[in-house]
Amino acid sequence: MALPRRRTQRADVAVEFRDVSRRFMLYHERRNSFQDWFIGLIRPRGNAEEFWALRDVSFSVGWGESLGVLGRNGAGKSTLLKLVTHILEPTSGEISLNGDTHAMLELGAGFHPELSGRDNVYLNGSIYGHDRQTMAERIDSIVEFADLEQFIDTPVKHYSSGMFMRLGFAIAVHMDPEILVIDEVLAVGDANFQAKSHRALHQLKDQGTTILFVSHNAEQVRSFCDKAILLENGRLIDSGKAEDVVDHYERLLAGSSGTDSMELMRLRVLDRDGRSAETVIGGDDIEFEALLRVSGDSIPGDLTLGIDVYDADGVHLFGRSSAVPTELPMNEVDGGKLATAKGRIHRMPIRSGELHLVATLQRAGDAEQVLGRSETNVDVTPPAISAERGMLHLDQEWHWAADGRVQVDQKDGK
Amino acid sequence: MVVSPALEIVRYRSLLRNLVAKDLKVRYKNSALGFVWSLLNPLLLMLVFTFVFTQLLDQQIPDFPVFVLTALLPWTWTATAVSVGTSTLIDNAPLINKVYFPRYLLPVSVVMSTGMNFVLGLPALFLLMAVFGRPFTQWMLYIPVIILVQGIFLMALVLFLAPLHVHLRDTMVVVDVGLTAWFFLTPILYSVEMIVPELAAWMYRINPMAAIVAEYRTILYEGGVPDPLFMGRTGVTALIMLVLAYLFFKRLNRNIGEHL
Repeated sequence: MALPRRRTQRADVAVEFRDVSRRFMLYHERRNSFQDWFIGLIRPRGNAEEFWALRDVSFSVGWGESLGVLGRNGAGKSTLLKLVTHILEPTSGEISLNGDTHAMLELGAGFHPELSGRDNVYLNGSIYGHDRQTMAERIDSIVEFADLEQFIDTPVKHYSSGMFMRLGFAIAVHMDPEILVIDEVLAVGDANFQAKSHRALHQLKDQGTTILFVSHNAEQVRSFCDKAILLENGRLIDSGKAEDVVDHYERLLAGSSGTDSMELMRLRVLDRDGRSAETVIGGDDIEFEALLRVSGDSIPGDLTLGIDVYDADGVHLFGRSSAVPTELPMNEVDGGKLATAKGRIHRMPIRSGELHLVATLQRAGDAEQVLGRSETNVDVTPPAISAERGMLHLDQEWHWAADGRVQVDQKDGK
Repeated sequence: MVVSPALEIVRYRSLLRNLVAKDLKVRYKNSALGFVWSLLNPLLLMLVFTFVFTQLLDQQIPDFPVFVLTALLPWTWTATAVSVGTSTLIDNAPLINKVYFPRYLLPVSVVMSTGMNFVLGLPALFLLMAVFGRPFTQWMLYIPVIILVQGIFLMALVLFLAPLHVHLRDTMVVVDVGLTAWFFLTPILYSVEMIVPELAAWMYRINPMAAIVAEYRTILYEGGVPDPLFMGRTGVTALIMLVLAYLFFKRLNRNIGEHL
């Protein structure tokens, strides 16, 4: 772990998915033997069902970032993991991995039961492309980390499951990868070892390791990741700051509260390309989007959606509400329909600072009954070239005057 | 297309070495006797065949034990490499589904570890040759070339069969039956000279193992001069087969994870 970081290549991002889809064919009768194969020659099998485990998924992970991948069972997390690790290839789209990758999909995958712990360390190392010498330098540290000094020359078939996993974890954190892919393995061993593994992962993160962390444990993602994406039925339905996406995920898990109701899942700020953004440039348009989930057949007629903007000190800068129309274009997903409401504030008059946006969904005329509330923060950064100072971005002019003749010299703002 | 796997092998050479070492260690279970056990099968077969052919059938081949063992040892390599290699992808399914590494290393490592086994068994053959007073000639230095050709041929075969077995699970059954037939169709219990001449030419053409076994026997049993041209032809055939098998392997293996 304490080895100097080496970079094989530099690219802008560590991991990038561009419109990645993965299809599985579900054959109701599999052609798995010669007999079936001969039958198939005469009678082509018909009923193969397509199943898209991932559909048009695009995201990127910057160097040193840790990205949480959230989603319910069957959302496509495992497929995404197998695509990242090259175990599967995408049906369409492109995946770039720009550095050494190590995957912790299953601790101790590739251990051979008959071999000793020591031999397995070397075997496992070589699976990830490390030669004998590199592993020889690290083995003492691995053994110490795994607390297996006494048992390292015992065949691993005699190990307890805890020892097995500890050794697997110890190897993984000593591989010094540039990109680490982790599949819910933080809960390994006793409390003592868990604390140790937490520290090790944080240390890797602090060293600049790019981490992809797949979990359905919301709290782990919230505490460990900078950013997160949320998958639902193979589609990427949200991305952004970890805490916001985790909130969205938790609302998704909580499910709908009744029939014919609407829930506010998430408020987010979008950049020019329609992607989730964390910063906007002062004076630019700011676009925000509220994701709504409708359960039941129709939208109740008495709902309003409000947006309020506060500054970092909690000063209420702006707010407005509008009735939710009963006819909305909706995207059908299992267990509900998704709709979005988008709003845009033109030439936002803030130059610099942090904004706090709050979306509120409530029943009209009854301010007490709030159905949903979602918040997000966005940083406003000043435009790169500007002669302005202060918090506000105002539509203003600058005049130089002489002999009573007025000449406009500079005009800022658009 | 063909150069990149060679580079990959260099990059993953320590994995290849560890896979071979793992195969050998697991087979011998870290015991010295384990290796002797692996020799037991060809030696026992040699005794049985010697008894059948010299006592029951009164076959007039001199030093029959040496005659049969020179063919039996390389055949044992072929038979174990093909049967272990065919199932290697399925046997390693948990690994394949969890980690990426070039998958062809698995069948290749099987050919290498079974080949190591063969090479380690050669001293037993030399001992037998000395006991029967068969000649040791300088042409024995040519043996590594034959081993290389046989190795390339076996890799081609296993690279073809292993992914086929993933897609058609009864490949193994066909392979088992095929190996038995192949054993009798290869000049192991008889020599090429004993075959009807017009069929002998055909045997060489269709069955690379016939040429390979005949070369081992020429050098080790007869103390004769190997035919470099003949082995060259077998070698080139084996190389072409290897390239085709590699392409076949790549093609069938694209989404192997789905089928395991």
